[in-house]
Amino acid sequence: MKRYIARRLVQGVILLALVATIVFFLGRLTGNPVDLMLPEDATAEDRAALTRTLGLDGPIFEQFAIFVGNALHGDLGTSIRMKQPAVEAFFDRLPNTLALIPWAILLGMALGIPLGVVAALNRGGLLDRAAGTVAVLGVAMPSFWLGVLLIFVFSVELGWVPSGRMGGPAHYILPVVTLGTFLVAGFMRITRSAMLDVMDSEFVKLARIKGLSESVVIWKHCLRNALIPVLTLWGVFVGNLITGAIVTETVFAWPGIGRLTYEAVIYRDFPLLQAVIILKSILILGINLGVDILYAYVDPRIRLA
Amino acid sequence: MLRQSARAATLAAALVAFAVAPSGAQEQKGTLVFAVESLGAQTLDPILEGRPGNAVYQAAMYDSLVGFDLKKGGVGPGVAERWELSSDGLSWIFHLRPGQTFHNGDKLTAEDVKFSLERQMGPGSLASAAASMRRTIKSIEVVDELTVRVNTSSPQLGLPAALSRAVAPEGAIMPKAYIEKVGEEEFRKKPIGSGPWKFVRNVPGDRIEFTAVGTPHWRGRPSFKDLHLLLVPEESTRVAMVRTGEAAIASIGPETMLSASRGGLEVLSVPGTMQAIFQFWGVWRPEVKDQPIAKPRVRQALSLAIDRKQVIDHVMNGKAALPYPFATFGYTDYFSADRWEKWAAEAYRYDPVLAKKILAEEGYPNGFELKFANTALPGTQFMVDIGTAIADMWTKVGIKVTLKHYEWGSFAPMERGDQAGLVGWASMYRTAGRPDAPWRYDGAFSPESTQRLLGDKDNCQAACQEFVKTYRALLAELDRGKRTALTDHMVEVAADSWTVVPILEGMGYYAVNKKKVGQFEPIPGRHELGDVFERIPRPDQQPWKK
Repeated sequence: MKRYIARRLVQGVILLALVATIVFFLGRLTGNPVDLMLPEDATAEDRAALTRTLGLDGPIFEQFAIFVGNALHGDLGTSIRMKQPAVEAFFDRLPNTLALIPWAILLGMALGIPLGVVAALNRGGLLDRAAGTVAVLGVAMPSFWLGVLLIFVFSVELGWVPSGRMGGPAHYILPVVTLGTFLVAGFMRITRSAMLDVMDSEFVKLARIKGLSESVVIWKHCLRNALIPVLTLWGVFVGNLITGAIVTETVFAWPGIGRLTYEAVIYRDFPLLQAVIILKSILILGINLGVDILYAYVDPRIRLA
Repeated sequence: MLRQSARAATLAAALVAFAVAPSGAQEQKGTLVFAVESLGAQTLDPILEGRPGNAVYQAAMYDSLVGFDLKKGGVGPGVAERWELSSDGLSWIFHLRPGQTFHNGDKLTAEDVKFSLERQMGPGSLASAAASMRRTIKSIEVVDELTVRVNTSSPQLGLPAALSRAVAPEGAIMPKAYIEKVGEEEFRKKPIGSGPWKFVRNVPGDRIEFTAVGTPHWRGRPSFKDLHLLLVPEESTRVAMVRTGEAAIASIGPETMLSASRGGLEVLSVPGTMQAIFQFWGVWRPEVKDQPIAKPRVRQALSLAIDRKQVIDHVMNGKAALPYPFATFGYTDYFSADRWEKWAAEAYRYDPVLAKKILAEEGYPNGFELKFANTALPGTQFMVDIGTAIADMWTKVGIKVTLKHYEWGSFAPMERGDQAGLVGWASMYRTAGRPDAPWRYDGAFSPESTQRLLGDKDNCQAACQEFVKTYRALLAELDRGKRTALTDHMVEVAADSWTVVPILEGMGYYAVNKKKVGQFEPIPGRHELGDVFERIPRPDQQPWKK
């Protein structure tokens, strides 16, 4: 097990180094923050002075060497736009994103898992098809469109909830529903297929032969076993939510790390972009590693493979 | 000696301020909530913010050395109520209005002005004009408590405009004694200015909150007690917030005007905030000399092929205007606006028949192939639609347009260096609404400039030479009348070259909830509302006219 964890950690470090290198060079291909900070009639002298002030005047490989050197000491640079250490900016916003994620996951599981069970129990039937439609809609609806639609209906027309921004509990409803809708579909699909697998297994047949009630067979024996892949998916979804809340946070003016990423891209804030992507990668690697370790712990075949 | 007497403008501004000041202005209550797409760097230190951010939120709490002409737009009195040029043209003397104070009660004096300008020019400044200021400003002297002398290395007739918020953020006045006492870091956490709004709270990525000063202020005493500026990047969410009353005002683009209006909101437009233009790159270069666009008449024909009214009606929802010549507006300094308005109405007309005739006369009866780079500068995404529309109009007179769309970040680097990706191309471009045309002309046409649209130092032909001669004379001219004549000539040289052609004069747009704020007037040419908040009445004070 220790060897397995060590191997995964080494892989994670290599992956991080690759991510950092790619984001450093690709980010710079998208343009220059100086172009966005100066007016259109700025002189070459103004441009050169600002480029120097921002530390963007050296050769790119020299800048990369400085970046790597600083990163090894935990310094991912200072945001060009916000003039704040990029790591600090990330951790300032992270709690806002983390405040949404548990509720979205909860919504996804609370609706997706029962729907998946119902769909599996009615395989090929009307309920299965209806649940399938929900799944397709949940996956196919762009969160941007869904968010705007929810705002229009529930904020503008009905006036039930605020249209966006952080605030009291009511402010969480629409962003959570927007994020959670995708998860409902995901959880429903994986629960359905896992349930179908489990329901065909020998131990379920044995449970029935033993005369256990159908509800005990389904909800206790089948569902408990079907939840193993669901829990694995949970880790993937948390990772997706951390990286993928950009659109939802933008639509709902939610000051989380999704929007911080968006701002870093829009303003060509290289240090911030590098820091955000590297830190997100660390988070996701950590989550995936945790899930893999748990999985390996539960299923020895994985760690022995 | 050229005397810039701003007394009349001060009086006019005071009258306008009085006229728009709501009745019952003594009472301050409620919160004015403004939803905006960007809060820039979201820092309250003026040396760390660019022009748009300064204009949106820093303007609320900082006054500028030179301010606005509230009625017609452009330069007007600010912290300095008047200013004058020395007889040798090498010094500007600014006379500050008496009785101004910072939010901590300290008096605003000439020392603060000197300190602020020097801080903007300092090594830690990200001000876009810091380098230019370091080059042009030789020294700054405090003559007395209310008088500052700025000595320049050469005549700088545009200096007051450059220190006006109508143009740039570098004129923001900061509190010398406070910053020296608490240090820069503390100042950035607890900033104070002298504007009509005091800083309360800055929540990065979310909002900035201010509260109104309780005492009279020369810019106007706010009617609202508090001012909240909310960062809401998504336009449909901003409009929804105004509809639900969560915000009173939101910035919008022209494409949203119709839906906002149908949703029962008032749509406010600010005239003269920008010009959408198209321009030709490197037409003076030897490698382009055989191309059709090397001929000025062909470029003129492309202008005649554009139905500007159609673009205004359909892309801008009718909320735009026919333009003046390049980078000029009704409020441009030293400029014969009436004359040029008439000229532009004729020159920028839609005449496809004449366009085709010119093309035939120039040897292109069947049109030619034109490469056209479509792009939008930050904050003006609608320019892409304008570019697409004019490309279509060119197609109708036989031009085979190769249209390529560029995100601004990838377009901007192509302007520099040898411009290899742009030479021989036409492209969309923009110029912001500013009263000082020469500065913008220098950036577009000077042989040393980045764009150098008429020629470079090694290849400066007739139009380029005429521009250089006129521009240099303009910089040294102290007589107001002669300066106007030179500006007009500079405009003429550029207009006749047809290298930069205005398409329309754009506006700034806002969706307004009439139940949340009363009727107010923006400042012409000033897209942002940072200098307007204090003059926005509550709805009970100044209901909107039906």
